[in-house]
Amino acid sequence: MTIGDFPNSGDGFEIEAFLREVFEQNYELLKLEAGTALAPEVRETAWQQVLLYWRKMRGVAETVTDAEVPLSLPGAVSPAGRHYTVEGVVDIVRDDNRTIMYDIKTHDADVVRANPDIYMRQLNVYAHIWQELRGQVLDEAGIICTDFPAFVKEALESRDPEQLTRALGEWQPLIEVAYNPGSIDVTMQEFGEVVDAIEAGEFAPPDLSVLQEQLGTSTQRFATRVCRNCDARFSCGAYRQYARHGRGQIEKNFRQYFGELVGGGEEATWLTAGLDEAADATDLRADVG
Amino acid sequence: MDSNSQNKQVQGAELNLEVLYRAFHFSPNAKQESAIRHLDGPLYLAAGPGSGKTRVLLWRTLNLIVFHGVKPEEIFLATFTEKAAQQLSEGLRSLLGMATNLTGQPYDITQMYIGTVHSLCQRILTDRRRFAPDRQRSRPPKLLDELGQYFHLARNRTWSRFTALFGDVENANEAINSLFQTPSKSKHAAVTNLISFFNRFSEELVDPSLALERLSANDKAVSQFLKAQGIATSEMEMALRLYQIYLETLNDSAALPLTDFALLQKEAFGLLAESEIARNVFKHVIVDEYQDTNTIQERIFFQLAQGSGNLCVVGDDDQALYRFRGATVENFVEFPVRCQASLKVKPTRIDLDTNYRSQNRIVDFYRQFMDLEDWSRADGAGGEYRVSEKKIEAYRASTEPAVVATTPGKPDDIYPEIVRLCKELLAKGKVEDPNQIAFLFPSMKSQGQMAIQVERMKRALEEAGLPVYAPRAGRFLEVDEAYDIFGLFVQVFGRPTRGEFLGRDYSNFMDWLDQIEQQGRNLLKADPQLKQFVEDRQKELERVGNDYKTLMAVCAENRWEQAQPYDLNLMKRPLYAAPGLSDEGKRLLGSRYLDLLVEERIERGNPFSLDYIVKRTTSLDWNVLDLFYRFCGFEYFKKMFDAAEQGQDEGPMSNLGLITQYLARFVDEYRTPVITANLLLEDRLFQRVFFMLFLYSLYRLGEAEFEDVEDPFPKGRIPFLTIHQAKGLEFPVVILPNPRKNVRPPGRVEVMVRPFLQREEGEPLDRMSVFDIMRMFYVALSRAKNLLVIAHLKGPGQSMNEPFKQLLNEDEMLRVPDFDLDTVPQYRHVENELPRAYSFTSDFLAYRKCARQYMVFNRYGFVPSRSQTMLFGSLVHRTLEDLHHELIRRREALSR
Repeated sequence: MTIGDFPNSGDGFEIEAFLREVFEQNYELLKLEAGTALAPEVRETAWQQVLLYWRKMRGVAETVTDAEVPLSLPGAVSPAGRHYTVEGVVDIVRDDNRTIMYDIKTHDADVVRANPDIYMRQLNVYAHIWQELRGQVLDEAGIICTDFPAFVKEALESRDPEQLTRALGEWQPLIEVAYNPGSIDVTMQEFGEVVDAIEAGEFAPPDLSVLQEQLGTSTQRFATRVCRNCDARFSCGAYRQYARHGRGQIEKNFRQYFGELVGGGEEATWLTAGLDEAADATDLRADVG
Repeated sequence: MDSNSQNKQVQGAELNLEVLYRAFHFSPNAKQESAIRHLDGPLYLAAGPGSGKTRVLLWRTLNLIVFHGVKPEEIFLATFTEKAAQQLSEGLRSLLGMATNLTGQPYDITQMYIGTVHSLCQRILTDRRRFAPDRQRSRPPKLLDELGQYFHLARNRTWSRFTALFGDVENANEAINSLFQTPSKSKHAAVTNLISFFNRFSEELVDPSLALERLSANDKAVSQFLKAQGIATSEMEMALRLYQIYLETLNDSAALPLTDFALLQKEAFGLLAESEIARNVFKHVIVDEYQDTNTIQERIFFQLAQGSGNLCVVGDDDQALYRFRGATVENFVEFPVRCQASLKVKPTRIDLDTNYRSQNRIVDFYRQFMDLEDWSRADGAGGEYRVSEKKIEAYRASTEPAVVATTPGKPDDIYPEIVRLCKELLAKGKVEDPNQIAFLFPSMKSQGQMAIQVERMKRALEEAGLPVYAPRAGRFLEVDEAYDIFGLFVQVFGRPTRGEFLGRDYSNFMDWLDQIEQQGRNLLKADPQLKQFVEDRQKELERVGNDYKTLMAVCAENRWEQAQPYDLNLMKRPLYAAPGLSDEGKRLLGSRYLDLLVEERIERGNPFSLDYIVKRTTSLDWNVLDLFYRFCGFEYFKKMFDAAEQGQDEGPMSNLGLITQYLARFVDEYRTPVITANLLLEDRLFQRVFFMLFLYSLYRLGEAEFEDVEDPFPKGRIPFLTIHQAKGLEFPVVILPNPRKNVRPPGRVEVMVRPFLQREEGEPLDRMSVFDIMRMFYVALSRAKNLLVIAHLKGPGQSMNEPFKQLLNEDEMLRVPDFDLDTVPQYRHVENELPRAYSFTSDFLAYRKCARQYMVFNRYGFVPSRSQTMLFGSLVHRTLEDLHHELIRRREALSR
């Protein structure tokens, strides 16, 4: 199912056609740059995020004056003495006398609201670079999350335009962030620790207790939200422990564990998207000759 | 502006290069300094190995931007590999970042043209704003990479168009191969022959129609040349017609037009040549590794510099390695002359000739090595086929011995000497890790198999407990992890049967299948759970197969056509009730979701066919990548992940990461995101495509010169590299176990292109091979920092290239058994001198979310099957960026 099929009209429709075209082009180019492809289902999700951003956040999109502005904070030093540069990208809206900075994320707003600290601090580092290094005033800052919540997805799948309009109305992808320069030292300290850990080759997964934690306001746990979407979970010690002994879980036998796929409706969308792409016998027969 | 940034501005006024040098602890030598400060007119930097040329380029660029008001978007900075491009861009960002801190002035290099020549050409073609403001928006062609080009040609629908040119289609492959003097019936050989021919002709800007006209008009120069070289006019004509057809196949597909790397550049040049604006877009054109340029690239650079005259080239003709890819080292050697002709000025020449890398004795050795060859021009014009009057000198004054040869002898006798030396280097702490001892070979393979010397050396080391990491040595499919993973694939899907004898490649591949099948069996025997898992998958294959047959029988009984629309009321019940349909089949067919989808499609006048419904009900719910990730959960593979998590042996993970890249390629190339039962059943199409087309092609393509190896190399292993792979790298210890490469006659394609060159002829055909071999060994010798070890091969059947014979036979040559290791400096690895850039989102936050996930997908480049990745984020972000730009553009258009 593609949501591009929903009726629309006017210049919005024209923009949507434009979006579809650049989306496909970007996909081809990026696929080549990255040397990898996206699964059809994943690609479809990306397209849905783009389209729904336009439909929901049109007010912001139409006022952006500087798109994808790169920010860089050079000269940082990690606890172990490594020199590094922090980089980020933001969008800027300037109207007559105000400047607003937006950080667009492909995350779910719930995840951001669940970890307000870290994301707010990120934007604070960006604001710091903008104001202090560039000497330009900033009036507001906010995070826009393009990953839509389950009820928007359900509305999409219901294929009912009214339900979708309602769902888009309820969805709150924008989170405002207050500027608090005091947090920057803490953030940079943590950032430096991560740089050292990466360089030192420390890559152990989080503890079982983290996997069992609920993510903020959401009822989903880390293991559901993060691990279930991770292809590397089968070989992961922490996830294996979780799957076998996790809270309230009866011990799963390994057959279920390995047979487990993305469950329920998601399997059906995976199949739909995949079948749209799949070669038929005639194609392959022509190939084998 | 607040007071804080005013302060910074004041500092800015006092800021100069010296202040920045100090901030970066950089003290350039006089020649580096004058190169950095050079501003106007063409600049010719002849840079020896280890002379800090990349650093000079970066500082020169910084000087232009920070102190001379050149905007980053007015600079074009190109190089040849992704890795080098990334280093340039990271290095520049961190230099400029430091300058920002001191001046308060931000420098945004996102609009700067910095990258590989290919990527910059691609950007020129889509950057209508700057290069062709009046042009209509056109869809950029889809770029085929090397593997993509191979698959494009090899596809039957393309290939049949080539073979149709031959009266005797049955023997067309043989006929094509004979054009290139490689007698063979193999289609694979024919495809690879044609690819190198096409690419070469594209790079030299040969227009096949014009070339054919010259042939038919009996052009004297052409026909004399062909005759002298023993090429029949009819053969040349046939080759050119094949090239014409190739160009047609790229443009006639209903979908996107296609292009390849060579043609992409040709298109970019076309756009530049016809645009008056294009010549003034850049104020500075800077090219690194200029000895690697080919004809079309040289044209592009001169064209871009037409307006400003500021073309700076940096290179080392002695390190030119890429003739096989069309690189013409004369572009560098003859740069002063070409520059005079094109830009009407003589370039300033500065030699960067202080080597900061190697011990004095090593530099002496490779300088002598090069001087042993006669480089003088044969055409009587005087001069050399080499940049004249340059002399590389070591910065390090130490005269301690640093070049050592083994006792003369056969590999089996002298390789143990090398092994002992390695053990001692490690034991005495002369290197910190085995990955600091590099073994360099002219080639890792011989006729598709791991070369015998490589094999022997590897065995000798491994028997002594020193594991080896050989990225794509021999065939990639012959690394242990490929045997494991594909061995299990054979267990799940069954192996293709051995057909009649179709040549050596075929029977080798069939042997490989035997071996992986055996390895798969071993793994199942060792792990009962894995065995159970594989049996479950086999049962699934059986189930979807049976369901497919069952449903097809119902269709036949009711005389429904596969293409007819699926009618819920009429068809669902009989299909659902089909005797023998599995529970899983019932669940899929009966799903409410599916019914809704069906109704939806009917409403929109685009109903599903019966065929679609049958496929949907009988598909596997996993594809090849899903299967891979599940295999990784079993103990045998999980151990590899565990070791990497703790920063131990990284070799297996690197190989597994590569396997995912190939599997993703398969899914993409043969469009198999879902595996449907009909493909498994009908002539076992899926299995045949996977094993006999895809894997067999990879097997035959072998390593295919893979240069961008990951550096640093996996810890705990000794890297085995081709000299090509080692280019641009340096190692504390370099070992040359096989200083031998045979001189060959010039390649057929090289000969064929010669009469059609749009430029002066370069090096004589009969000397090319000798020159190329000299340069290749020069690259190898100049990689070593502290110690260079050369195997002195001698005895029946053993040989070395001439300069090695002379140098190693000298009496004062130090031998390994007599060598006192204590004179070798202890090597301590220091971090990359240039600070690395870390992204807040894709590094910091990703690592914090899950360090292990970051490791798998970021560090080892695993291609995910279902999880979202960087590519996902980039795709959304870039599209939103385009949206914002488009909206800005529209607003501006309205306000005008």
